[in-house]
Amino acid sequence: MPELKVDFLGKELNNPLVLPAGVMGMSYSGMEFSSKNGAGLITSKSLTLQARSGHKGPVVAEFEGGILNCMGLCNPGIINGLQEVDEFKKRSGNSVIVSVFATNSADFVILTRYVNKSHADFLELNLSCPNVFDEFGIPLAASGEEVYKIVKAVKKESKLPVIAKLSPNVYDIVAIAKAAKTAGADALCLINTVGPGMLIDTKMVKSVLFNKFGGLSGPCIKPIALKLIYQIYSAIDIPILGMGGVTTGEDAIQMLMAGANIVGVGTAVYKRGIEVFDKINIEIKEYMNQMGYANLQQIPKLKKIEN
Amino acid sequence: MDKRVTLKIAKIIKETDTIKTFFFEHELGAKPGQFIMLTDFEGGEKPFSIADSNSQEFCITVKKVGEFTARLFTKKEGDYVSIRGPYGSSFFISAGNVLLVGGGYGTPPLYFLTKKLLENGAKVSVVNGAKTKDDLVFCDKFQKLELEYKNITQSGCLGRAGTSVDLACECLRRKKYDFIYAAGPEMMMKSLYPYLENYQFEFLFERYMKCAIGICGNCTIDPLGIRLCVEGPVLPKKIVDKLTEFGKYHRDATGKRVKF
Ligand SMILES: Cc1cc2nc3c(=O)[nH]c(=O)nc-3n(C[C@H](O)[C@H](O)[C@H](O)COP(=O)(O)OP(=O)(O)OC[C@H]3O[C@@H](n4cnc5c(N)ncnc54)[C@H](O)[C@@H]3O)c2cc1C
Ligand SMILES: Cc1cc2nc3c(=O)[nH]c(=O)nc-3n(C[C@H](O)[C@H](O)[C@H](O)COP(=O)(O)O)c2cc1C
Ligand code: FES
Repeated sequence: MPELKVDFLGKELNNPLVLPAGVMGMSYSGMEFSSKNGAGLITSKSLTLQARSGHKGPVVAEFEGGILNCMGLCNPGIINGLQEVDEFKKRSGNSVIVSVFATNSADFVILTRYVNKSHADFLELNLSCPNVFDEFGIPLAASGEEVYKIVKAVKKESKLPVIAKLSPNVYDIVAIAKAAKTAGADALCLINTVGPGMLIDTKMVKSVLFNKFGGLSGPCIKPIALKLIYQIYSAIDIPILGMGGVTTGEDAIQMLMAGANIVGVGTAVYKRGIEVFDKINIEIKEYMNQMGYANLQQIPKLKKIEN
Repeated sequence: MDKRVTLKIAKIIKETDTIKTFFFEHELGAKPGQFIMLTDFEGGEKPFSIADSNSQEFCITVKKVGEFTARLFTKKEGDYVSIRGPYGSSFFISAGNVLLVGGGYGTPPLYFLTKKLLENGAKVSVVNGAKTKDDLVFCDKFQKLELEYKNITQSGCLGRAGTSVDLACECLRRKKYDFIYAAGPEMMMKSLYPYLENYQFEFLFERYMKCAIGICGNCTIDPLGIRLCVEGPVLPKKIVDKLTEFGKYHRDATGKRVKF
């Protein structure tokens, strides 16, 4: 039987599949339900200092290639959110990433202090939400300088390994990734949603999303995710939590080959049900059996781009 | 996969001063207990239970409670709104003696259920309660069907004062039932619950919904983490028995817990 266990930043995970930020991670029970359905690592919703109710609906819109969302960073605030995380930790043996969002390094540092006092295993900095542009402007992940400043400040404070979540919607993601690594990031998470984009209702002549624009996720972004992960894997030596459109075992294996150490599965929870984690784990094992790989480390990576 | 359609409101019926039924000429293919998400693209997309559905049309019954529903109440026949669905779990269609307990705007989805139960040969008793006459709906519709029907208000404006749970308890004392259904305010179901220890039942729940496609996690229910928009909104006894938040709290639009 092929082995799916994998080490990520010193923690042993039962399998390489991760519930990404913003999917099912609002409550301890949502996290536990996802764990029971086979997610090997859980990420909380991105938490902010104050509770946020998010954008008015419609906040999701479906199309052939996936979905658009503009949830608007709804979350119960760092204090309530960490209570959910701690309750999950009390009930489950699974590891948790706490995702946090702020607009400046001072607030990120305050959030980090809260997370230090929780039972979380990892801290993820959401530097890349594309859905609060009106409110907060260009995502922080668009500037290597900003990313460096924030990661540096958080690293100084954090008791937990720090993961920087990057946006695909930038000119030179490798430069941003390097800035994060130089500042001390322990790992990178990519990609956040692509775009943003929009859809139009042709009878009422309105944007389907009330926020007008929303980030793309699901199958249509997989090729972009693979390319960006591969570029970063080629250029720098840092663990990668890869995500973007992963729906099947085949997709997950492509992520691993592109350079990801572990793989997020978000939108596919809709397409294939919450059982998607168990399903993909089985599909990965089938592939490993077929190819004669005993563990994930034996799955080969692409040859790095030479430059 | 995309379940969104933009439809003209075919007909509007004013049930009471604060409750209206909206009809749409569209084959939704819904089952009793399921819901749709409805928007006018003016800010807000909200869940509503399907009150009736056949191959030509479907309808929803809406109580005016806040910003979104107030705006919906200004719409006229012929105006467009956009819907997606149907979503969620549906009621088991039982045979034998069945009791349906409705409260306020929870009663309309039980009407859709009643029609399917009658088609299945069930013997149906319906008890319908509300705070006042203003929240009591579908009385005439139920009375036109072959079934036992009673209604009551807490204010006593129709004679006797009481709740649908009071009426339900009387029914349970009088007759043997094979299956119980309830839809209405959560505290109504909570007070009915202790009487149903020896019965098979299903309740229709409400939680704050955003995506309605099972990803945002806003509608999960403790401690199981099941999503009211996918595994619910209709939950059977074996699930309800396990819920620790039932009648205690729910989560608001931020995901924060709010006590009932
Ligand atoms: C599965 C389900 C079926 C429903 N069926 C019906 C129905 O058939 N008829 C009917 O009149 N109402 C129904 N509701 C409730 C209806 O969705 C709310 O009344 C409506 O969203 C209120 O919006 P508002 O802006 O007018 O009020 P607000 O002032 O925003 O809120 C008033 C109340 O509605 C609740 N509410 C607001 N937004 C949502 C949301 N997105 N999801 C769930 N609850 C919300 C709030 O928690 C609050 O208790 C149903 C809810 C659910 C979850
Ligand atoms: C509904 C929804 C909410 C999301 N919320 C967040 C969030 O709060 N923080 C964050 O960093 N990413 C968020 N994301 C992005 C996902 O974590 C992930 O990066 C992206 O969806 C790509 O993966 P997928 O195609 O598997 O969904 C969200 C995505 C979706 C679909
Ligand atoms: S409303 Fe998003 S998971 Fe149910």
